[in-house]
This record gives sequence, structure tokens and C-alpha cells, in this order.
Amino acid sequence: MPDKESTDRRTFLQYGGTAAATVASVSLAGCGNGEGNGDGEGDGDGDPAESAAEVTITLSQFPDTIDPLDHITGDYFDVFDHIYEPIFDFRPGEGIFPRVVEGQEVQGDGTTDLQLRDDVVFHNGDDLTAEDVAWTINRTLDPDFGVQSPIGTFGLGSIEGAEAVDDLTVTVEYGAAPGLAEFEYGNYGRAMNREWSIDNHDAENSAISGSSPDDFNGTGPYEVVDFTSGEEIVLERFDDYWGEAPPFQTVTFRANTESSGRAAALEAGETDLTINVLPEDVATIQDASGVEIRNVTSFRTIFCPMKNTVEPYDSPEFRRAINHAVDNEGIVEDVLSGFGRAVGQPVAPAINGYNPDVEPYEQDVGTAESLVEESGYGGVDITLTAPQGRYLNDAQVAQTAADQIDQLSNVNCEANIVEFPVVSDENSAGVEPENITHPFYMIGWGTITGDADYGVQGFFTVPDNPSRTFDDEELSDAILESQQIQDPDERTQQLQEVMEIAHEKAPWLFLHVQESIYGVNEAIQWEPRPDEVVYVEEMDR
Amino acid sequence: MLGQGATQDLIEEVREAEGLDEPIYVQYGDYIGGLLRGDLGYSWRSERDVAAMVVERIPATIELAVAATAIAILIAVPLGVISATRRDTPYDYGATLFSLLGISTPNFWLGLMLVLLFGVWYGIPYPTIDVGSGLWIRVEFVDLPTGRREVGLGGAVLTLFRSGSFGDLWLWIKQITLPAVTLGTYFTALITRLTRSGMIDESGKPYVTATRAKGLPGVLVQYKHVLRNTMIPIITVLGLQMGTLMGGAVITETVFNWPGLGLRLISALGVRDWPLMQGIIIFIAVMFVVINIVVDALYTYLDPQVSLE
Amino acid sequence: MISDRVRSNLKRTFRESLLPKLGVTLLTVIVFVALFAPVLATHDPTRTGNFHENGGPYPPPGFDYTTTVSQDGEITEVTVTSTEKHLLGTNTVGQDVYSRALYGARVSLLVSLFGVSLALLLGVPFGLVAGYYGGRIDDGLMRLADIMLAFPALVLALALIGVFGSQPVRVPDPIVAAGLADGMPESIPIPGSVTVVVALVTWVWFARVARGEALSIRNEEYVKAARSFGTADWRILLKHVLPNSFTPIIVLATIQMAIIILIEASLAYLGFSGTTLSWGYEIETGQDVLRTRPWIAMVPGIGIVLAIVSVNLIGDWLRDALDPNIEGSERGA
Repeated sequence: MPDKESTDRRTFLQYGGTAAATVASVSLAGCGNGEGNGDGEGDGDGDPAESAAEVTITLSQFPDTIDPLDHITGDYFDVFDHIYEPIFDFRPGEGIFPRVVEGQEVQGDGTTDLQLRDDVVFHNGDDLTAEDVAWTINRTLDPDFGVQSPIGTFGLGSIEGAEAVDDLTVTVEYGAAPGLAEFEYGNYGRAMNREWSIDNHDAENSAISGSSPDDFNGTGPYEVVDFTSGEEIVLERFDDYWGEAPPFQTVTFRANTESSGRAAALEAGETDLTINVLPEDVATIQDASGVEIRNVTSFRTIFCPMKNTVEPYDSPEFRRAINHAVDNEGIVEDVLSGFGRAVGQPVAPAINGYNPDVEPYEQDVGTAESLVEESGYGGVDITLTAPQGRYLNDAQVAQTAADQIDQLSNVNCEANIVEFPVVSDENSAGVEPENITHPFYMIGWGTITGDADYGVQGFFTVPDNPSRTFDDEELSDAILESQQIQDPDERTQQLQEVMEIAHEKAPWLFLHVQESIYGVNEAIQWEPRPDEVVYVEEMDR
Repeated sequence: MLGQGATQDLIEEVREAEGLDEPIYVQYGDYIGGLLRGDLGYSWRSERDVAAMVVERIPATIELAVAATAIAILIAVPLGVISATRRDTPYDYGATLFSLLGISTPNFWLGLMLVLLFGVWYGIPYPTIDVGSGLWIRVEFVDLPTGRREVGLGGAVLTLFRSGSFGDLWLWIKQITLPAVTLGTYFTALITRLTRSGMIDESGKPYVTATRAKGLPGVLVQYKHVLRNTMIPIITVLGLQMGTLMGGAVITETVFNWPGLGLRLISALGVRDWPLMQGIIIFIAVMFVVINIVVDALYTYLDPQVSLE
Repeated sequence: MISDRVRSNLKRTFRESLLPKLGVTLLTVIVFVALFAPVLATHDPTRTGNFHENGGPYPPPGFDYTTTVSQDGEITEVTVTSTEKHLLGTNTVGQDVYSRALYGARVSLLVSLFGVSLALLLGVPFGLVAGYYGGRIDDGLMRLADIMLAFPALVLALALIGVFGSQPVRVPDPIVAAGLADGMPESIPIPGSVTVVVALVTWVWFARVARGEALSIRNEEYVKAARSFGTADWRILLKHVLPNSFTPIIVLATIQMAIIILIEASLAYLGFSGTTLSWGYEIETGQDVLRTRPWIAMVPGIGIVLAIVSVNLIGDWLRDALDPNIEGSERGA
């Protein structure tokens, strides 16, 4: 099930930055990991030198599949990207950089040639070939492919196909400007083994399936040695990895949907790093010994789409009224304890195309009420459907927003709290009224490419986009126009224009950009990334 | 199941592949046919075999249920006996109050309150208690018992035999204690009640008075005859209460993130994964039929006067 | 309906023991609280945003705490103190905990009252007819009853919620409508599908008891006599059989009420009731912040325990006094 959800997945092997620190910190690490009694083997008093080579990471969702391109969920990519290598590395705000690809050449006719490294091998011993990479891209595009990847056209919107020219050259074909296409295949390109995928493909179930450690087969720096579905996955260094050896011998991923459980595990020394710490737990973790909080403003915006093909959301006045009803600055301050920033447009301030002149909607009950009257929907009952435990205090944010809307004298609003996949399904259900169950719902979107196009095109473009959440030609055309502009500055300007149109048309209830809060063992050297990716390669003890 | 940009063709294809284009009764027939072969279908979300997803979660639930029942019997029978033999003493009142609260406390709340309470001493390595401002005792929950199951009993025992290390077994005990107490409290309360009233009833029966008159020491009568006869209704009730135990396990597993069948049921329900949900419920139903047969058999064995019709 | 003997039995056991008195007092208080929640509440229970100026919800007295806030990425520590305005503090969205606890009693009692009534309406007629006529209806009912009673009530309820979804129903508040409580919500949402579902999982108990009574009465001389006079069956059922089943059904209804309160709280805790104004849901929201804001989960839990204790005490009293000899105490959660 593709959550149209995202965070991301590309590594940068920034060894330049972190490798220097390796030598100094190894000696420290032995002491830092004294109480790791959760390893499940023996009494847990491991040899200090050995425990220095381990790291345990606790996520909030756990992959239940062995196919890295089965879901678009940040937590899943955090695990999979260590096993199945991205073909490019991505650095937030900097761009994409070759990884298993040695270089690329833009051909100028809507194609780019990718030149693969010749020393990349899979965990099962096979060499990586151009066939493999082309196949991996094609399976996300073509429904008749046989081993189709359900992540669909969202992430690779403008990519039209890929072809192996020779053993190590792949030609990628696309319809948009090369700079944009590069973001897309740089984003979802993975080195998967074609033969292995076909062998493990379960046709009845239309998925690549398996449940033993040997079923995983990538080219990444780590291979799977232990896999307990839904609970734990243990990775070890892959000896034949083409690149530099990663910093830890063993990496363990676990998941806990309860944030208090994650915080407790960190404080108890059962894990070295946990994602999505609640603002409420920040003080406790800061006070506990040996662990600390690290935070960064992310690329993720939180917002509530209003599908404009059903009443009352078809009225722009009504949608603006909703935006005026909610005090998103107050919500950030109170419900998120300041761990966020209110916005009035689809993307975060650090994103290319963000429009600094577009302010958040100001809370103004009077204006909101008269806009509702103007829209003709006075007295309407609406429901805001929101997930729980997916984003920073998501259910609380939704309840507060719903209550603020409810305080308008002419609208009744209630919050409906559900599990995340319910809103995720709604988000990909499109705008056909008969497919809409929750026309007003909360979701988050990480514009991980650092470019506003990725933050708007899936939601607002009309042609060939059945899963859009908003039906408006003007907004759609403005985005499509920007995709064809070759000059970077001009494109940025057009994107800023898009932001202004989006603000006016209010396709969403705009809320905020959230801060990522991590709890980390002090001995771990690691800086959180704005795209929410957690890569072991960037860490050190 | 299908994502962004699923074309109409693709939707049709998947419908066909999954038999969704067949009439409902054919689909239902296929499903039942599969059931009889032990095939519960595939989970919509994880695309895994439902039967496997059920089976892998059974041990954790059984461990929890058995541990809870064991705790309940170990505490409740002595408590009930004390309560019955010292009627209308503070012991009796205490036991009565305990059982009243025990049967009236929802176990999700109980679990949380136990975490709150025992988070204190569970963190034996470094508990820092500081009687701070006002009434509230400020406590650093250094080692909050989350109840997460990291090692199963089977694995822990294996480790013990293979390496002679108690480490895993100790870890298992630490992790199961709080969930088991949470799940077991209702049964402890219930059995305490039953033991107490059962013993009081039995003690008044003619055979007890008669054996006493024969000069058999009172204590012996109490324990040998009275308690044994009291156990029969207790086992019956326990059998009847298996449903409660399972319902309780669902909640307890959710509170403690205990990876059993109940937790899986709740998450399946939360994400609308019908095949998985159906599979778990069918499994529970079948399990119940079996348990009821076993309880009936046990009942006949204990009480020769009852025979199965 | 209630004979003199039963009445004197009730009085005697009530006088002799402390527990029934406690139960009746507690339940009276809870019913009073539920009825007059809009008057007793200090805040609209659904209004969010009552936060301390330093950030974070208000604690109750004695629960002052320090927390952190972020300002442009910089984390600073702040102290949050209690206020008289919020007796039991506020929750994670800044709603008044005390007022929500009062309204929680209302939701809990409404669901159990409607649930039990619905179960009665479904179960009693069915049981009476089955027991009176016997034969295939009776066999079918008993088979169904055996299956349903063996099955975990909560699991069954979850399955039904899965099928029905969780639809809330708005119940208007007469006290607010009469203008006696300004600023309180004009209607509150109660979990509609949960009410139906709890009736569907409990009705079979009532059917069983009614059937048993009908079975034992149908061969009584006076029933036979009535039948030979040509009295219609439905009249016999209504005039003779039903009144006799009254006592055990009342006892059963009490026991089932406690069970329903618990199932409602459990479903709300699990997030399947579709409403947020509920003791169970409140505990759920308190769970994530249990370590730092423990009162949010503590207060509503005390409400649930008191409600169930009071109903259980009354149930025990009725059972002891009336000795109806029935099962049905499986609580399912």
C-alpha cells in the first residue's frame, strides 16, 4: 500500500565528514553500551570491543515486506536503504550525487545515460547490471510488467521508461526538464536484482515475498542476518561491498508505535537512537544520563486536504474560512511546544520555491464566519479525519483544529481519529466523489527532494494523476508550466507563483512544518537530516 | 492495495487475480474451501500469508494467558482460603475489597497504573526518588517496564540448557511479570471470591460436619475435602471465563505492546485489513471450541458424578 | 411482579450489610453527576486550548512539572504550575480534565442504559417465545447462545465494529436547551454503533434467562388452564410468563450494565468508538504522556472503577437477596 507519505531514502556517504571522528570515538563506545541486555543471546555482557561495533535504532513503523519498493514510508526506507542501495545519493538542499552510478550524461532528447560502477555485487554474489537498474525503474511505471511495484507513478511522475544499452549503461527517458527528472529517478532508483525479484515473486499475491533473512538481496553495505517480521531486523556488514566499509559491524532495527515506549527503551539503554520523540518526553530524555535530544526542522509539512469535488469543500470561500478559523501559530506553540513552524503554503521554508511573502492565514473568527455565510454552507456539519501516532502529536493537533472550526457559530466540526493507513488510503483515493470517504483529512508530506515541485505536483496536477486531491485547472497549469522551464531561477519564480495561487485557492487547511525530534545515545555522533532519513553510514560512536 | 496512478486496467487485472470479479457466493465458497485446507488468505496490508501471521503470534499470547492464570491461582486460592477460614476479620474484609476492586478495574487502566507505580523500583540500577514540590513524589523512570517481549520462554529455556545462562530467563520473567499481573488481576479477584464462597458453602454441608464429628482434625477436613470440592466449580468458571481471558489478552497486549495475537487483531482492525482480521477471529473461534471440549473433559475427570451426555 | 417476600429480602440484606449501601450511594452520586454534568462542569469539555502560558497543559495541584519548549530550534526548560481554574488540570489538547470526567460519566451511563435496553428488547421476547414453544426455534436459539457465550465478548464486539464502522450519534442536552448551563455544548456525541454492538453481544444472555423461565412456567397448571380457556399465546406470555421472569432479568441487567460500561471503555481506549468524549479514550490519550502528565490517564480511570464498583455492588446485593441462580457474569474485557 503506498502511503503517498514520504520521507526519504538516499544516502550520502559523507565519509569525508564523519570518518575522521571514527578513531577517537571507538574507545569511548565500550562504556556507553554496558546495559544492552536486550540482545536475546546469553546474559548480554558482550565483549566491549564487539559492542562498540553495534548500533540499535528504534523506528515507529516496521517493514512487513522484503520489497524495498513496496511502500513509500520513511521508516521502511530507513531500514531498506542499508540493504538495497539507492543508485544516487541525495543531500538535502544540495542535490543528488552518483552512488552505484559512476556518472550520467544528459542526451538532450529527453533521455539521460547512467553509467554504472563495474564493481557492485549483490549479497547473493550476482553482479549488478544495467538490466537490473532498468528493470527496477520500469517495474514502478508499467502495470503490465509482471513484478509491478505499487509505489506507482507518484514518485516518478515524469519518467517514461528505462532501457539497458549495454552491461553498464542505462538510458532513462522522461517528459519533464532534466533537472526535475533527475530528482525523480535519483529519488526512487534502487539497485534490485531482477532475477532474484522474479524468482521470489509470488504471483497470486502480486508481491515479492519471503520471511527468512536469506530472502533479502541487495547491494548495500549491510546484509540481513536475522529477521523477525514486525519486530526486529538485524544487519551485518557485507564483506564484498564495493564502497567503504560502514562504521558498525551490526545494526539492529526495531519498531515501537508508542512514543513513550521508544523513549523508555532509549533511557533503558535498549536502543541507541529513536525517532519521533514527543515534545512531552524531551525533558525526561534530556534529564536522563547518557542520552540526549537532537532536533532539526524537517522538510515535512502537516496539512489537511479538502477535496473540492464534494460539498462543502467545493466553495473557495468555505476553504478559506476553514483556514481563517484555525490558529496554526497557536497550535505550534501549545500542542507542539514550539517544535514546529506555522505555514500558509504547501512547502517548508527551506524548500526551493517557497514563497517568503506568503504568510500563514491569520486566525479571524469574524472573517471566517462571514466567508462561510458567503459560501452558502452556513450550519454545515463536517468531520476532520486524522491519524494517530504518525506525526508529532497528530491527533492532538487535529482535535484542536477541529475544535477551533467548531467554535465558528455556523460550522460544526468534529475530529475522527483513525489509524494512519486509513488517511493514507484516502490520500490516494483521488477526487471522484464516489471514491471519497474522508474529504477533509490530515496528512503530512516531506518534500524530500528539496524542490517544491515534489511537494505539489502529486496533489494538484490534473492530467494523468488520478490520485490528486484537488481539481483545479489554474493551479495544475501553473505547476505543469513550471516543469517545462529550463532556467533554474525562472523555475523558482514560477514555483513561488504556484505557492501564492495555492495560498489563495486554499486546497488545504495549511498547518505547519514540524521539527524532527530524535533521542540519541550521547556516544553516537550523528546529525539529524531535514529529510528525516536515518543512515547508519553517517553515524559513529 | 493499488497506489497512486492505478489505471483502470490495472484495477481490473488485480480484481481478476484476486477473484474479486467473481460473484460474491463464488468468492465465499473459495474462502471456505481455503479455510478447510488451513488457508486463511493473504493480508491486504503486508501481503503475507494470514495463517503464518496468526501462527507466529500464538506463543506470546499463550505465554501471557498461562502466566496470568498461574499468578491468579497461586494468589487467589490461598487468599480465598484465608478469607473463608477467618470470616469477618480484617483479612476477610481486605480480601473482599481486593476482589471487588479486582473485578471492577479495566485492565488497560490497571496496566498503566502498574507501570506508573512500578516504574519506580523496576529501575533498580539507578532509581532517583526526590520528594519534590507538593504531594507528588517526583520519580525518574529510568527503566520503565514497557513489557516488550524480546525473548520467548522457549528461547530462554533453550539458552539456559545450551549455555547455562539464566540471563534470558530472567529477562523473560522481568518482561512478562507486569503484563501477566495486569491480565491476571481480574481472575485473581474472581477466584478469590469463588474460593471464599465455595469453602463457606462446603463447610456447612453434612459430610463436613460428619467427618468432623468422627474426630478428623478440622484443618485436614478443610484442605482435603472442602478445598477439593470447591475446586470443581472454580475450574468450571475458569473454563467459562476463557473468553474473558482472551478479551483481556487483546487489551493487555495493546497496553504493553506485547506481540501476541490480540495486538495483531487490533492493528489489523485499525488499518482495515479484513482478511487478517477474519483469519484471527476464525482462529480464536476454533480455539474456543477446542478449549471448551478440554474443559468439559477436565470437569468429568474431577467430578465422577458428571458424565458427558 | 415483585413479591412481598422478595421485597423484604431486599430490605433485610440492605440493612444487614454495608456494601449494598455503599453501592447505592455511589451509583446515586454517579447518576446525579451524569444528569447534571452541564451544571457541575466548570468548562465546556470539548473546548481545547487551556494551556499554561509557559506551554503544556495545566497540572492538578501537587503535580507541577518542568518541560521543554522549542524556540526557533533552541530548546529551553520551563516550569508549569497548577491553577484554581482547572481543578484536575487539563489534558494534552488543553481540555478541562474535571469537566471531561463528569461528561464521561454521562456517556458511559447513556451507552450502558441504551445498550441494556436494546439487549432486553432483543433477548427477552426471543427467549420467551423459544422457551414457550420449544422445538426448532428453541434448538436454534440454544445453539446460537452456546456459540456466542463461549466467544470472547470483546473480540466479538471488535469484529462487529469492524463490520459496522464507528458512527457517533449526537444526543441533545435538555439542561443546556433549558438555558440552565450557559457555555456548555448543546449536544454531545455518544458512540452509536458501540451502543448497538454491546446490545448484540449481550442480548443472548437475556434470551437464555427468559427462555429458562418460560420453559419452567409453560407446564404450570395456571398456564395450562389459561390455554384451555382459549387465551391467546401472546397474552399468556405477556401476563403470566413475563412477570415471572422479571426478577432474574433485573439481576442480569445489572450485571450486564457493568460489562457494557467496561466494553464501551475498552473500545474507546482502543480507538474504535468514533468519539473522543469518553473515559476510555481519555485514558488512551493519557497513555503516551503517562510519565510526564500522569493525571490525564489517572482521573478517568478512577471514574470507570467507581462506576463499575457501584453497579457490581448493587448486582451482588440483588443476587444475594433474590437468588435467581443465573450465569452471565462473564465480563469480556
